[in-house]
This record gives sequence, structure tokens and C-alpha cells, in this order.
Amino acid sequence: MSERAAAAATGVAAVAARTLNKTFGGVQALRAASFAAHAGEVHALVGENGAGKSTLIKILGGRFPPDSGTILLDGEPVRFSGPADATRRGIGTVFQELTLLPWLTVAENLLFGREPRGAGGLIRRASLATDAEAVLARLGISHIDPRAQVAEISLSERQIVEIARVVTKKPRILFLDEPTSSLVEREVAWLFERIRELRALGTAIVFTSHRWNEITSIADRITIYRNGSEVGTFTEIEEGEAITLMTGRRVDALYPKLPLLSAGAKDMLALTEATIPGLATPIGQPASDLSFHLRAGEILGIGGLAGQGHRELFLGLFGAPPLARGKIAVGGKPLRIHRPSHAINAGLGIALVPEDRKTEGLLLPLSVRYNLTLPILRRISRVGVIRAPTEGRMSREIITALGVRTPSAAQRVGALSGGNQQKVLVGRWLLAESRILLLYDVTRGVDVATRHEIYDLIMRLAGEERAILLYSSDTEELAHLCHRVLVLRDGRVAAELVPPVLTAEAIVSASMRQARAA
Amino acid sequence: MNNLVRLFTTRDVLRVYAAYGAAILLFIIGALVHPGFASLPSVTTILLISSFIGMVAAGQCFVVLIGGIDLSVPWVLNAAAILLATASLGQNGRALYAILLTLGMGGLAGLANGIFVVWFEVPAVVMTLAMNGIVEGLTLGLSSGMTCGACASYAPPIVQQAVHGVFLGIPTALWLWLVIIIIVSFALSFTRFGRATYAIGNNPRAAFLAGVNVNLTTVALYVLSGVFSALAGILLVGFGGQASLGMGDPYLFQSIAAVVIGGVSILGGSGLYVGAAAGAISLTALVSVLLALNMPEYGRSIIYGLVILALLLLYGREERQ
Repeated sequence: MSERAAAAATGVAAVAARTLNKTFGGVQALRAASFAAHAGEVHALVGENGAGKSTLIKILGGRFPPDSGTILLDGEPVRFSGPADATRRGIGTVFQELTLLPWLTVAENLLFGREPRGAGGLIRRASLATDAEAVLARLGISHIDPRAQVAEISLSERQIVEIARVVTKKPRILFLDEPTSSLVEREVAWLFERIRELRALGTAIVFTSHRWNEITSIADRITIYRNGSEVGTFTEIEEGEAITLMTGRRVDALYPKLPLLSAGAKDMLALTEATIPGLATPIGQPASDLSFHLRAGEILGIGGLAGQGHRELFLGLFGAPPLARGKIAVGGKPLRIHRPSHAINAGLGIALVPEDRKTEGLLLPLSVRYNLTLPILRRISRVGVIRAPTEGRMSREIITALGVRTPSAAQRVGALSGGNQQKVLVGRWLLAESRILLLYDVTRGVDVATRHEIYDLIMRLAGEERAILLYSSDTEELAHLCHRVLVLRDGRVAAELVPPVLTAEAIVSASMRQARAA
Repeated sequence: MNNLVRLFTTRDVLRVYAAYGAAILLFIIGALVHPGFASLPSVTTILLISSFIGMVAAGQCFVVLIGGIDLSVPWVLNAAAILLATASLGQNGRALYAILLTLGMGGLAGLANGIFVVWFEVPAVVMTLAMNGIVEGLTLGLSSGMTCGACASYAPPIVQQAVHGVFLGIPTALWLWLVIIIIVSFALSFTRFGRATYAIGNNPRAAFLAGVNVNLTTVALYVLSGVFSALAGILLVGFGGQASLGMGDPYLFQSIAAVVIGGVSILGGSGLYVGAAAGAISLTALVSVLLALNMPEYGRSIIYGLVILALLLLYGREERQ
């Protein structure tokens, strides 16, 4: 890395920013921000959520202009008139939020604006799919059908199509804003292979990620952002030191210590011979059946490749929609869960923290209080009328207990930081006195500092003898946060890993073995 | 203390102030162009007319709060007026029966709207528009175009007296509206039902995952909308004495306009009924001012449209979080 980095540091930067400022509605996203990336280097841009990474990328990608400051391409100051202008100048950007048109096919999206033309300039629909197939094949993608509608393919497949669409335009400078957050291990490996190819061709690649192992495995240089400005650029830096620079405070250990699991801990949740709804069963195999026990104080991890039924399992245990078949027992008592209210009010109380707190978890425009008490309104109201004093007291208590940083319980949840939003979401279930927590990828897209707060919270919840079922797209995290991990394949348990064989490598290899067999 | 200040300065509340401010401003303008415009009898009349719009707007407000809409207002209202007259045959003895039957009919139309929107996932615009057509057809068919014998009936005198009656110097219809304003506002702000309504309007999926019974609440809201349309129909026939064809037509546009002027987000999730009530008053005051200015019908129509457009530009542009 050092050789390339040294070469990079001397030449003229392919893309650079000088003293950029940008304010959104009173919030200064960038303050005198600087940045430089060279041809033929992979440059990681890291920082907490809100540090200004995405804003920088959007400005350098021509999405919107800075309030002040200079953008330089090969040392020449430029001013983009819009994204199309940036594209013409050889800049490709994969934005964090997906930009594909959901009702068009993969092929139509992939070749948008560059469709094969026939007589009279009309699009040759017949060759659209085959052209797209060829484009995908060149990039080593064979599992995505170019004729499929984008709305029908998975989130990770959409992300891949998004990346493919930008990469095929052969940009000189490529920006990737959190490209791996919705990808699984195997797909990340695919992406990194493409990145290495582009680097060899002399492309400047800038990417953001919250996953440190990804950053160190591919980045030549790392630029750290905090509060809208550059803190420093490094060729080599320890994770601990980087986190300190990102947050401005020290973080002790990467992963917290797991609370001890007592031998006699009682069963909280038992699932027997369940069938995941909507999961295609490989021909010649019986319908999926899935069984496990979850004990008090236990953190049980669920791992495996995407699309193996994790999401359906978590939603199924919560009745949204219910599992197709199988028995659920809560605290030893059999129970039917047809909708979330059944789960919430089940004996020990089941809670689901969904992956996307903004679209599935919280009601962002509503107050912290409204969000906290929504599942327990029945308990705090009399003949349908909410007892306001009780509600106020309960929400204040939980805000204090979890250390939610908010001016008051009347504050809009959308105005809180990501970590505090996550706390409100967890706090909701503490109020509901849920003893069984289903945590689905709760750290996805969460910055390092907040992530540690969430880890500590999970440990605390387990320490309070709550039972936790945890899914994470980050295998490292699964390996370190769980007492036990079940690896799923085709909606069934393919491997059960316990220490000392509970490692990220073991989880990955268990998932991969299945992939090959499938 | 600070919290209290914040409570009375939220966006929703500021919009309510704006709607009342607009109403007051229009009364002042009216008084300037036409002496006597702000006299007590004139104001009372304007408020009385507003109350009919306001009742329809109560139902419209409920469904708009969850991002829905009720386009079946005109003919549910019209059918209600006709049903009240024909079922009562203008007799006081049958008045209660006719009123309950009529409200039930409105609720039933709303129930059908709700069921199709929820379980058959028909978009609210399509479903309620279709319902408007269906109710229109049923009404015209069953009354043979208002030529049936009972159709010529007047509203029972007791209903007419109730609408025209005055209690403590204020028409009873206005008292009724005041009660409705209080009940609807209370329901929206202090009950589980209200909480569920705002939750669904903001994000049905998140509301569902928080244990809210989204389907049942949605159906209930459409039922309420139907009932409020029917109630307005009853009061209108009591006010005018007789039902007529097409009497519900203005109320679709006016109820939506009142809701929007009152600051309820047309996309759902935010707004207060007290605002929609102020919207109804502003709208009526606006029409009255234009009448006082001798503005012809087409001119009033254009101004109506422009006001709605301006408000949507003003209120609809805010970023959805």
C-alpha cells in the first residue's frame, strides 16, 4: 500500500476539494472541508453519521453546489452545472440512497439513456435484455435476471445493479457512498474485486463505510471527517485511534464482554418446526423446518447469507406476517401470533426492532413520547382515553434510563441523532416490558461511536435476563455479540456455532458451504 | 414552561392560528366593502353555512389524516337528504327512525369504502369515486329521479325546527357543530383512536409493527366520514325543508378545501380538526365577501381554485421527514 500511497501523495490529485462550506437549513454540514484523491488509489472516507461524508460526495458528484469553496479536477477549478455535467467529466457516483426506478426492469435501469437504438432512434427492446446480460456478465454478475423488475429483486441485488450502472460508464473518478451496507460478505468480495480492477486501470475510487475490516482490507489511504471538516489523512491507522479521531473521545474496547449465561436459565421462546413463508424450497427437499430455543439472558445470533429467511423469521415471530407453519411457545406456553399486537401482549412480551428505523420503526414527524408509548396505549388508557400524566411520567423515566439526548419528550423523533432514535426504538419495548427482543440488523448504517452504545445496551438488556434474538449483516458483530449463532440456509438451521468455534470465519464458511451446495 | 410554549407553537397549531386569522381578516375586508357584513345576523348566517361544510370536513379530515380521501361525499350527503325526507314522510313520529336509518346508510357507504380500501387494496381515490357513482345510481333509481311519491316529502318539522332553532341566541346547528368540534378534537388528541390515526397517517408499516390495528382503524375512519356526510345531509334538508338533486355537489370541493386551509397535510399524518373548522369558516367568509363584491359565479370558482393552489404550494412544499 505504501508505494502506491507515496506515488499518490506526490502527483496532482484527480479530484480535490478546498475549503468547501455547505449549510442545510441552519445546520452546517461542511465547514472549510478539504479532500484529495489521486488516480489509481482507493481512498476511504470515514467519520460518524453527520460528519459530512455524504454531503462531500454529493457536492463532488455534482448533485448540488457548495455554498462556497473550490472543486478541482486534475488541479483545474471546476463548477458542475448538475449531475449530468459531472458524469460528462468522468465522475461516477453511487449514492447512498438507491436511485433505480422500481417499476422498470433491471435492463432498462442499467442501460437507462444508453439503450440500444434501431431504426428511427427507437429503443430496440429485443436486444435490451441481452445487452444488459452481457454488461452484467462482464462484471461477473450472473445471478441477477435483467428482465426482472427492480421492485422484485432484493435490496442487495438493487445495490449491485446500482454499482454496475455507474461502473459500466467507466468513470475516471468513482464515488461509492456506503456501497456495502446492504451487501453480504460474498457480494462485498465481488465489489472489492471490481474496485481493484478499476484501481489497476488508474481510476480514483472514493468510498465510505462503517466497517473497519473492509476499510483496512482495500483502502490505500483513509481520510477522517468530523463535524464537517477533515481531521486527517492516513496511509495506516489503528481502529482505536481512528475512532478517537472520528468521535473526539476514546472508546475502550471494540466489543463489550458478554454477560455470563447461567446453566439453569429458563426457556423464554421456543420455535418448533416452523416454515418460513414465501421462501422457495429447493426441489426434492421437504419444506423448510426451523426449530430453536432461546433462554433468559441469552443472545442468540442468526447468521447466513441474505435471502435465507432471516427477515421472514424475525417478522414471523412478530406476526407480521405469521410463520407459515410451526409452533411458538413463549415461557413454555404455546401461543398463536397472527399480528404484532399478539406478540407485544404475549405472556413475556415480544418486541421487534426492525432493520430500518426510519421506515419500519419510528414515526419520525411525531414526538418522542408518541413513539415511546404507541405499543402500550391500551395499558395506559381508560375507556380509550390516554392518561396523560402516566404517559408523561413513563416517557420521562425511559428517556432518563436510556440517556436519550432530547430537549423534551415533546421533541420530534426525526430531529434526534441516529443513535438516540435507536434508543427511543429500544426504549419503546422496555416500556412495554418486553422480555423477548428480536433485534434485526440494528447497527446497519450506524456510525462507530453509536454502534458501541448499542452494543452496551444489548449487553445490558441481556444482563437483565431478557432473551435476545439478534441478526446482523456484519458477521464480526455476530461472532462477538452472541452466546450462540445459528446459520440459516433455505429457511433451516444449517449449523449451530458455539465458542470456541464461534468466529466470523466459521460463520462465513458455514454460509458459503451452503451456497455452493445450493 | 418552555414545553408549554412549544406546545402552542408547533407547526400544526400555527396553521390553525393562520386559518382563524384568515377568517377574521375576511370578515374585516367584508365589513369594509359592505357595511353590515360583520353584523351579528350576518356573522351568524356565515357561521351556520360554515357548519354544514364543517361537518362534512370532520369526516374528510379523518380520512385525509391517514393519507386517504373521501370522494363519495356529494352523493352520500344527497342520498341522506332524500332518505331522511322519504323515510320520515315528513312526520315527526318517524323522525328518529329516519335519522338513524340515514346515519346508518352513511356509515354503510363508509364501511364499504373502508373494506375495499383495506382488504382489496383499492386506492381511496378510485374506491370512493366509484362509491359516489354507485350511491348516485341507487339514489336516482330508487327515487325514480325524485319523482316518487314520498320524495316530495318535507323534512319532519321537528328536524326543521331543530336546525332553525335558537338556543341562547345561537342557532342549534352551531351548538351541534361546537359539540362536534370538541368531540372530534378530543378524540384526535387524547384517545388511543386519535393516536392510531396520526400513526397510520405518518407511516402505516411502522404503526402496524408498533401494534396498532391499522385495518380496523382505517375502516372506522371511513365509516365516520360516511356518517358525517349523512349528518350534513340531514341538517341541510332540515335547513332547506326539502331535498333536491345535486345538493351535495359543492361539498366535496369545500370539505377538502376546508381541511387544507385548516392546515391538515393532504398527505396525511398531521393537522387538527379545529383548523379544518376554521378552514370552513374562512371559505364561507371568502365566498360571502366575493358575493358582496358582486363577483359572478365563474369568478368565485376561479378564486376558490387559486386559494387551494396557493395553500398547497405554501403548505405542501415542506420536506416530508
